[in-house]
Amino acid sequence: MTQTIVIARYNPELDEKPHQETYQVQSDDNTSVLDALQQVQQQDPSFSFRWSCRMAICGSCGVMVNGVPKLGCQTFLRDYPVGLVITPLSNFAVEKDLIVNMEPFLEHLSAIKPWLINTAEGTQPHVQTPKQLAKYQQFANCINCGLCYSACPQFGLNPEFRGPAALALAHRYNLDSRDQGKAQRMPELNAKNGVWTCTFVGFCSEVCPKKVDPAAAINQGKVESAKDMIVSAFKPTGAR
Amino acid sequence: MSSEHNGRRPYLPPFRRDWWLQLRFYRLYMLREATVLPLLFFVGCLIYGLYSLGQGPAQWQLWLDFMAQPWVFVLNLLTLAASLFHAKTFFELFPRVMPLAPPRLMIAGQWLGTVVVAIGLIVLLGGYL
Repeated sequence: MTQTIVIARYNPELDEKPHQETYQVQSDDNTSVLDALQQVQQQDPSFSFRWSCRMAICGSCGVMVNGVPKLGCQTFLRDYPVGLVITPLSNFAVEKDLIVNMEPFLEHLSAIKPWLINTAEGTQPHVQTPKQLAKYQQFANCINCGLCYSACPQFGLNPEFRGPAALALAHRYNLDSRDQGKAQRMPELNAKNGVWTCTFVGFCSEVCPKKVDPAAAINQGKVESAKDMIVSAFKPTGAR
Repeated sequence: MSSEHNGRRPYLPPFRRDWWLQLRFYRLYMLREATVLPLLFFVGCLIYGLYSLGQGPAQWQLWLDFMAQPWVFVLNLLTLAASLFHAKTFFELFPRVMPLAPPRLMIAGQWLGTVVVAIGLIVLLGGYL
């Protein structure tokens, strides 16, 4: 059957600001938003959007569907009988049509040092028990799609906020038994734009396609931050 | 990165003041945050009551009369409802912040604690002991 979808279009060379256009697409029970966007691109080759894996692994095809952040490949037209309005991810600057500038997100991500920091020398493997793995595994499933940043009003109000994915990833590495970098990450978590900017709206966890629950990670980070503050108050000056 | 020379002109939509009206999830969040407003009224009543207690029987009776007025009663009923709603949301969020036991068990435990403390206070302050 034919379904009508509305898409936000923006050409930086011609338009003052984004506007909406209506398209007709062919759909059945299996038609995803990503399929629909590809049909629109066949109708109008100037239409731009990001996608890659079409199986909710790459995290490229994030868009707003009726105001809610979604992965295009994981969202189906059959669930929107009254119609869809597809707009670029909120809280990011639009470059063209559905493409946003993810640079601020990537900066927040690298700021929390999301890698194993370990001073142990040598080439022997880092042994980890299933129990130690289970501590952080849920928070390691992030695919960097950025949906949580579009769901977060605190990030919308204050783009300096490190944000859900970055803080969840910081927590993920802090919980990893192979990691020794917690002391380097805590200043970022404790800082003005760290965990305490979060007010537990919780919509980030609601929209996360991988059930990472960043809101839980950030608020567990608040517990860690409070402990860090108390411990540091009793340490002699100069000590780490 | 300069946008002028490469044709880039990123458009950042303004962040709407009414963002919280846009989705049901945000409206429920704001409702949770707003439960503090009727609580402020209740705290005011409580402070007024403590002050009246110190002023003697006549002032105490005035406070009792004030508390018995229908509009005060209704507002305090609203406070109770708001506090229970806040408790529900808080009890559900807490196991995610401190995952000490299975979430359902933690939620049930918190409600049990609330009921025990409430009954204890009613028995203690209601003069049943």
